[in-house]
Formats: sequence, C-alpha cells, structure tokens
Amino acid sequence: MAALRRHPELRGEAVIIGGAPELRLPVLAASAAAVAAGVCPGQPLRRAQQLCPQAAFLGVDGGDVERLRADVITALGRLSPAVEVGGEESCCDLSGNHAAFPDEGRWAAAIARVLVETLDGGLPAVGVGSTRFVARMAALASEPRHVRLVPAGGEAAFLAPLPLGMLPVDPAIGARLAALGLDCLGAVANLSPVELQRQFGAEGLVLHRHCRGEDGGGLTVDTSPRRAAERVVLDGAVGDLEVLRFAAHRCATDLGDQLRNRGMVAVAVTLVLELESAPPLGVTAPPPLPAGNAAELWAAVLALLGELRPHAPVSAIRVEVELRIAAGRQADLWRGGDAQREAVLAAAARLQRRYGETTLRRPRLAGDPGDIPERRFLWESPLPSAAAEQGSQATGHADATGGDALIARPSTQPAQKGKVPWSRPPAAKQPGRGHPRPAPSTQTALSVRTVRVHV
Amino acid sequence: MHAETRGRVLADTIAGLQHRYGSAAVHRGDEPDGGESAAWATGIPALDVRLAPGGLPRGRLTLLQAAQEGVSGRLTLLQALAARASREGDVVYVDVAASLDPGFLADLGAELDNCLAVLPGRGRWREGLAMARALVIAGSPWVGVALDRRPDRDAGIEPALNGLVEAVHRRRAVCVVAAPSPPSAPFAYASSLTLSCTPAGWQESHGDITGLRLALTVTKSRLHAPGAAATLLLRYPRPYATAEVVGYPAVWHPSQSVAEDPSRSDSVARGAAIA
Repeated sequence: MAALRRHPELRGEAVIIGGAPELRLPVLAASAAAVAAGVCPGQPLRRAQQLCPQAAFLGVDGGDVERLRADVITALGRLSPAVEVGGEESCCDLSGNHAAFPDEGRWAAAIARVLVETLDGGLPAVGVGSTRFVARMAALASEPRHVRLVPAGGEAAFLAPLPLGMLPVDPAIGARLAALGLDCLGAVANLSPVELQRQFGAEGLVLHRHCRGEDGGGLTVDTSPRRAAERVVLDGAVGDLEVLRFAAHRCATDLGDQLRNRGMVAVAVTLVLELESAPPLGVTAPPPLPAGNAAELWAAVLALLGELRPHAPVSAIRVEVELRIAAGRQADLWRGGDAQREAVLAAAARLQRRYGETTLRRPRLAGDPGDIPERRFLWESPLPSAAAEQGSQATGHADATGGDALIARPSTQPAQKGKVPWSRPPAAKQPGRGHPRPAPSTQTALSVRTVRVHV
Repeated sequence: MHAETRGRVLADTIAGLQHRYGSAAVHRGDEPDGGESAAWATGIPALDVRLAPGGLPRGRLTLLQAAQEGVSGRLTLLQALAARASREGDVVYVDVAASLDPGFLADLGAELDNCLAVLPGRGRWREGLAMARALVIAGSPWVGVALDRRPDRDAGIEPALNGLVEAVHRRRAVCVVAAPSPPSAPFAYASSLTLSCTPAGWQESHGDITGLRLALTVTKSRLHAPGAAATLLLRYPRPYATAEVVGYPAVWHPSQSVAEDPSRSDSVARGAAIA
C-alpha cells in the first residue's frame, strides 16, 4: 500500500515489492494481480519475474512504510486505545464497551471503514474474535471489505472446518499432519495434546491450543514517543513580547487541534525562540497535566514563554510536543475507573520528571530492619521498572544511546554554523545485506510544519 | 402500569445501562456518585458519630487545624487516617512537613503498597498542593496533605489550593489537610470541614508516655452546624501493643490519671489544663 501511495498510477496493476528483478533478493509483497499470477512473498525476485513478466518491480521505501504505518495507527487509535500495526495485519483491542458502538460488529465495521479511507481504496478483510488467533482466522476466512464476527463460545465450531493450510505452522509439520490424514483444524483439535507434543514437541501444544481457539497472546502496542512541532517564522525579527505571545498562541492552537484530532496528549512541551544574531533559546518542561487540546497546550506554552528572556530580536518561534497514545488496556473513557491506578502512576511519572525523582516515593518495610528506627523502612520508586525506563527515556537520557537529543540538550547550547541545535544526527547506515528495514519503532517520529506570519 | 412494575423496569434499565456503560454512567439523584456514599467513614466511631455525614465529606476539603503552636496531634491523626484509607485503596500522602514515618504508618496497620508519598520538601506548600492536584485529577481517591511552618512567601499558594479544591470536588476525592497554627486564611476559607486539634494531655502508663489525648472541635462546617466535639486517644506503638486511634471516653479510667509534668512543653501543659 505504501508503494501504491507513491505510485497511484499502478493501482490495479501487477506490482511486486522487493527491488529490481536482477537483484538476488526475495519478494516482500505483491499486489493482487501479481499474486493471481503465482507470485508470493519470499519467492526470489527472478522467479517472480518469470511468473509475472508484466509486473512493475518497486523497491522498499522505509519512509513511506513508516508514514503509512503512522497513519494507520493514528486512524485506528481514534477507535481503539490499543492498536498493533504489523506488515500485513493490524490488531485492535475491542474489549470493554464503547459509547458509540453498541456491539463489536458495528465497532469492527467502523474500523473497517477507517481502514478503507486510510489505505485509500485498499480492501481490508476484518475478523472479530475473542482471541488474537481466532480474529486472524476470521479475517482470513472473510472477504475483502467484509467483517467476519466469531461469537464468544463459537470459536471451536468456527475453526473446526477451516483447512489445515491456514495454520501458521512450519510447512514440514503441515505436511506430516496431512500425511496423517488430518485435513482440517477440527481434526487436529480432537487429537490428544499429549500425542501432539510427542510428535512435534512444544510446537504441538501450541498447535493444539490454536486449533481449539485458545490463544493467550495479547497486543504489542506501539508506545514509542512521537513528536510534532509547529514553527512560526516572523516577518522580520521582533522583540515585542505581545508579538511573541501571538505567534506562540498560533503554534499552540495548531498543535492543540492536531492533538485533539489525533486523540493524543502532549507529555512534554518545548519552546524555542530562534534569535536573529544569537543561538536559539529554548526550554523544555512537561506540563502539569497532559495537554490534549489547544487550551491546555496554550497554558503550558505560556508558562514556558514566561521563563525565556530573549536578549536579541526573535526571528522564529517553534513549539514542539512529545506525544503519547493510550496503550495496553482500555482507557478511562471506555470504562470508568478501570485505569485509575495506571493513571495515578502515569501522573506520578510526570511529576517525577517535573519535580525530581525523589519527590515521589513508595515506602516499604525493610526485610532486616536492625535496631535503628530509621532502617525500618525503605523508600522506592512508585513506578514499575518498565514505566521507570519509559520515564527515563522521556526525560532525555539519550546522550548515552545516541538517540533523541532534543530534550537532553536544550537549545541554550551554541549552535553550529548552518545547523540548528535540535537537529538530529544522520541515521546510521543499516549493517548487513538485504533490504533496508524501516526505522525501529523506538525511534521518535517527528513531524514539523512551518508557517509564516506577518506581524 | 403498576408502580411496582414500573420501578422494577426502571431498575432493570438502570442496571443494564450501568452494565454497558459503567457504574458511573447512570445514578439516582440521591446517590451523587452512583452509589458511593457522600462521606468517608474514618473508622473511629467516636469521631464518625459526631460528623453529620458520618465521616469526612467526599469532594470537599477537610482541615485539621492546630489550635496552638507546638504539639497538636494533627499529623499523627492524619497518618492514622491515611493508614485507615490505605486499607481500602490508594492513598497519596503529601508530606510538606517532612514528618512522615512509614514505620508508624505500618504500626497503624497501613497497607504500604497502597501508599504513595509525595515529598516536595519542607515548606514547599505550592509545589505540594500542585502535585496533590495532579494526582487527584489522575484518580487518587484519598489525599492527605501534611503542612508545617508557613513558607516565607505565600505567592502561588492560593491558585494551587483553588486548583486542588476544584480537582477534589470534580473527582469526589477525600482530601485532608493538616495545617499548623496560626491558621492560614486561604485554607480556612477553602475548607468545608475544619476540625480544631487541641492537645488534651499525654496518656501515661507506668511512667511512660503511651499516647496523646486530642480534643477535636468542629469549628467550621458547610455541611452541618459546627460545635461538635470529641476527644480521641492517639495511642503510640509499644512492644506488644499496636498504635491506634480510639475515642477517649471509651478507654479512660480514673486510675490512669493524667500526669501533668511541668517539664513537658508549655503547649501540652496548656492542653492538659484545658482537659
């Protein structure tokens, strides 16, 4: 889909993604027309050319893929708080209740409509099931632009007649099962798990669980921080605070509207004043509460503006925010009070970032208190280790990792000639051979929009 | 349709809506928060029976105001209330007074896993109130704020306090503030229930101090008429005895007479004289 976005003229044609056919690389993806000709992912490109000589061969553009992925996450994130987007399939958590959709079927239909709009004419098939595996099978058994709903309790009946070829197992195991005369998932589900384990080891148990519709795998939600920025270039450098306030308000309003439309919140706000003949002046601080709209963001930006004292005329103002999306479980919006403890811990993490690590602690009795009363208890961080790591990443301990240097190095540092201080280091070339992979999800995504205003 | 049938249909409908959209989605007019009572019972019967809603009001600010400088028992009482609340759910203890003793909390039976201590630093009222507000908005149902001496500069306290009061009201949280003497005007104004804490003498046993008697008086209430009074005994932990807070008349015996030791602080001596 990413390649078709770049080349809309190829829509409906046979397209093979992977590179030029003379390269000794595998096929990564193929359009419906190419698949109909016998091309499948994993095939050598040369073989794919033999099967479908009229196909257009395109390389992989990591930027396009990431942009499409971000768009899909954003679009689905408006309907479901937990979204996982993979290469060929996306998963949404529909557990709990949604105020706008009375049942999972209509909820899934809304998701399908959003996917069609985002993929610009793509034909997604949607499956709804009580587990990830059942939902995947339902989508595979469904037709494009249709929703297949497997009711709770009906998983075994739905899976039983499905052909064995739909199972995501090693082809050798599939061949052995076929040799045993097992031709559908129901036949495998009726076998003893002990026998399957004896034949195929641990994979046999997984196979048995899948065939019975049991799957404990949850969603791997992308919680990587994202950034968005607005930059207003002033028409002539100014030192009037009222003008700066106007420009900052413009940035905050535009960014706040983006936040509201994307259903995200800003957990850190950076304000940078680009001076005419001096290094830029910047300050970063997490807002007391996550800012989710223009009014909340403007309050945070205004507080930052009051901290800066520009000593030279300002030529541009830049407001940058670090964004977070709901992740992992249903948000409070869907089920009141469900995420209370998580919300409190998230607030504690924000307060630690703002006021210092030692300002929030959870007491714990010491195992060996000894005789000294002060040793009867220990102070520990209230955040679980994962949240603490997330918090430390967000606070910008990125110098060691070489990742995002924006928060770690505020723009009070002198700027190099021709380079703004918040510029990122160029991405390192991917080692090894093969297709260049898209940037890992731990990298922050930054979108900057610049507008010019006349004052 | 009979009234009984209509009532049953309505109850079924409400139950269905609450099942689908959550318990907070629909509630009756006499249950402002969907079944949750308007007061939080302190677990000290001698105190609960004297407070009109049956405990400390939810969604409002309760002030434990020291009646005089020096020892007042307000911080001990606040820790006892926090310990009691931690057995029911999450508790935030904002320790601006730098006096929190988790060991004492544990002696009082607190569930330390549910306790989150906010340590903004001594005298930093504004930061403490801002942090309390953020945690209340995030969903903390019980917040205690321990204040000590007034900061040199009062700037910013009033907006921070107003924000906390507004957040407490919106989230229907229980908020208890222990404030020193002399009373701070913003807190006196924002409080819905002010309990004046006056020490009524040390409780002694075999020459050892085993607790502090505390006279509580409702000096301000937006919920009922002020003037109610109660005397509590803050019993300190000792070997083979747990710390607890009990109503004083229930435990007082003439044989355990108050030892008014002039060598103790003046405030306590005054408190004993009042008692």
